[in-house]
Amino acid sequence: MGKVLMKGNEVIAEAAVQAGCKYFFGYPITPQSELVAYMARRLPEVGGLFLQAESEIAAINMVYGAAGTGVRVMTSSSSPGFSLKQEGISYLVGSELPAVVVNVVRGGPGLGNIQPAQSDYFQVTKGGGHGDYNIPVLAPASLQEIVELTSEAFDIADRYRTPVILMGDGMLGQMMEPVEFGERTESELPEKNWATTGTRGDGQPKIITSLELNAEALETRNEALQNKFARIKENEVRYETYKTDDADYIMVAFGTVARLTMNAINKARQQGLKVGLIRPISLWPFPEKPFLETRDRVKGYISVEMSAGQMVEDVRLAVNGHADVDFYGRTGGVVPTQEEIYQKILTVTGGISV
Amino acid sequence: MERNNRITILTGHFGSGKTEVAINLALNEKKIHEKTAINDLDIINPYFRSRDVSDLFQQQNIELIAPTNRLATSDLPIVSGEIYRVLHDNRYRVIIDAGGDKDGAKALGQYYHEWKELEPELLFVLNANRPYVSTLEGARDTIEQIEKAARLKVTGIINNSNIGFETSMEDIHNGYELSSSLSDMLSIPLLYTTISVDLEKDATYFAKSHPVMFIKRFMKLPWEG
Repeated sequence: MGKVLMKGNEVIAEAAVQAGCKYFFGYPITPQSELVAYMARRLPEVGGLFLQAESEIAAINMVYGAAGTGVRVMTSSSSPGFSLKQEGISYLVGSELPAVVVNVVRGGPGLGNIQPAQSDYFQVTKGGGHGDYNIPVLAPASLQEIVELTSEAFDIADRYRTPVILMGDGMLGQMMEPVEFGERTESELPEKNWATTGTRGDGQPKIITSLELNAEALETRNEALQNKFARIKENEVRYETYKTDDADYIMVAFGTVARLTMNAINKARQQGLKVGLIRPISLWPFPEKPFLETRDRVKGYISVEMSAGQMVEDVRLAVNGHADVDFYGRTGGVVPTQEEIYQKILTVTGGISV
Repeated sequence: MERNNRITILTGHFGSGKTEVAINLALNEKKIHEKTAINDLDIINPYFRSRDVSDLFQQQNIELIAPTNRLATSDLPIVSGEIYRVLHDNRYRVIIDAGGDKDGAKALGQYYHEWKELEPELLFVLNANRPYVSTLEGARDTIEQIEKAARLKVTGIINNSNIGFETSMEDIHNGYELSSSLSDMLSIPLLYTTISVDLEKDATYFAKSHPVMFIKRFMKLPWEG
C-alpha cells in the first residue's frame, strides 16, 4: 500500500488496528469523533469489536475489563471527556493493566471550546487521577509520527503493564497529511500470564484488582509501581533536537507547536540568531538529557505552548537554575502564529546584534 | 466544463476535498457572474470549513452563507436559513459545500422540495487516495448512500485525487482511472480533474487531453506559507 491522505484522528485509529488493537470502547466528542467513527467501521472488518459506551466513564471501565483478558484495547476522548476517564485510568495503573488512552486536546477549562489546545499537559504528566502514579505520554507532531507512536504506545503498555497516553491537539486530529503504513516490527514482549482467561485447574486463581486493604502491603505494591516508573524513566524517553549544537537560545515545544516553532527558528537563523529546538516526544518521562547537555552553555530556553504555561515547569526543573527560562503561550484554542513566536525570540534574545 | 445549472452542490466522501473545490468554484463563478454565494452546509467538520476563509469571500465580494459569530464554532449541526434567499433568487450563482459522506449529505435532504423545483447539479468529489473510496465498490457505495441521504441524484464526478503536498501526476492519473471506471459503471459523466496550481507544469500533457480545473489550496495549516 502506498501513501494515503488521512485525517490525524483516522491515522490514530488505523495505526492502532495495525498494532493489533481489536477492541475499542469510546464516546464521541469533538475534535476526536472521527477516531470513534473510523473504529466503528474498521474494527468489524478485522474481527474486532467496537462499542459506543453510554459515557466516557463506562468506556474506560470497559477498557479495564478487556485489558484484564490480555487483549490490546484502546479508548479515546478529548479534554472534558478525558477528565471523566481519570478514575478509570488510576484503576488501570493500580491494577497494572495495559491499554492506550488517546486525548485529542481542546480549549478548556470546563466545556471550553472545540479549538486546539495543549492545556491538558499537567493532567497527563502529573497523574491526573488519584494516587501516586505516572503514565507514559507520547506526543506526535505529524501524521506519519502518529503511525509510529501509536504502535509504540501499545508496546510500551504491554512491556510495563501500564496504560499509555497518546496526546495531540485538535489540529493534529483534524488536519490531513499523506501517510504510509509500513510493515510493523514486532517487539519482544513479555507473555501475559497474568490475564484472567480462566485457570483450567492449572494454577492459582488470577486476580486483577487495585484494592489492597493492608497498609504495609499497599505500600509494598506502591514501591513496586515506583520501581516500574523508574525503569520507564530510564528506558522510554523520546525527544528530538534541531540545531541545538551551536545554539545560544533553545526553544522547547511539542506536537504541532514544534512545527510552528521550527519555522520561527529558521527565520531567526536567517537573521543570524543562533536558536535551536528541543522537541519532547515523550512528555512523561520528560527528556532531561538534552537540557543537562546544554544548560551550562546556552543563555536561555523559551518554552512555547498552547497553554498558560505548563511544560515550562518541567523545563525549569530540568534546567535547575543553570540558565534563564522564558515562556510564550496562547490559550483558549488560539494557535500561536510563527510571527508571534519569532517576535518572542527577538524579545528574549535582544534581537539582532552586531 | 461548461455548467448550465445555476446551483451546484459539492458532495463526496469524508475528506475528499469538497471545500477546496467549492471555494475555487465560487471564485471562478464570481469572475463571470455578478452575484455569487457559497453556502457552508458542513455539519460534520469542526475545523477547515468554507466559513474559515470568510475574509477571502469578503474580499472577493462573494456572499458566504454559514452560521456566524459564536455559532460558527459552536459544535452544533446547524445550517443558516438564509440559503433560501439565494436559492430562489435567479440572479445568484450558488455553490453549496455539504459535509462529507451520507452524514454530511443528510443536511441536503431537507431541501427536497427546492431540489424538485430547481434541479441543481450534484457533484461527487472523489479523492482515490482516501480510505474506503480507493476501490470502485467503495466509491459506488458512497455515492449511493449520499444520493439516498441527499434525496438527489449525482449528476457529475470530479476527480480530485491527491495526497496533499506530496501529490504527483501519478496519483492524479490513478485517480483518473478510478473516476473513469466509476463514471462508466454508473453512467454519470466525469466532468473534470482538479489539479493544484503547484503542479501546473507537470500537468501540461495531461491537461491537453483531459478537462482540468487548476485549483489553489485555501485550507492551510498555520505553519504553511
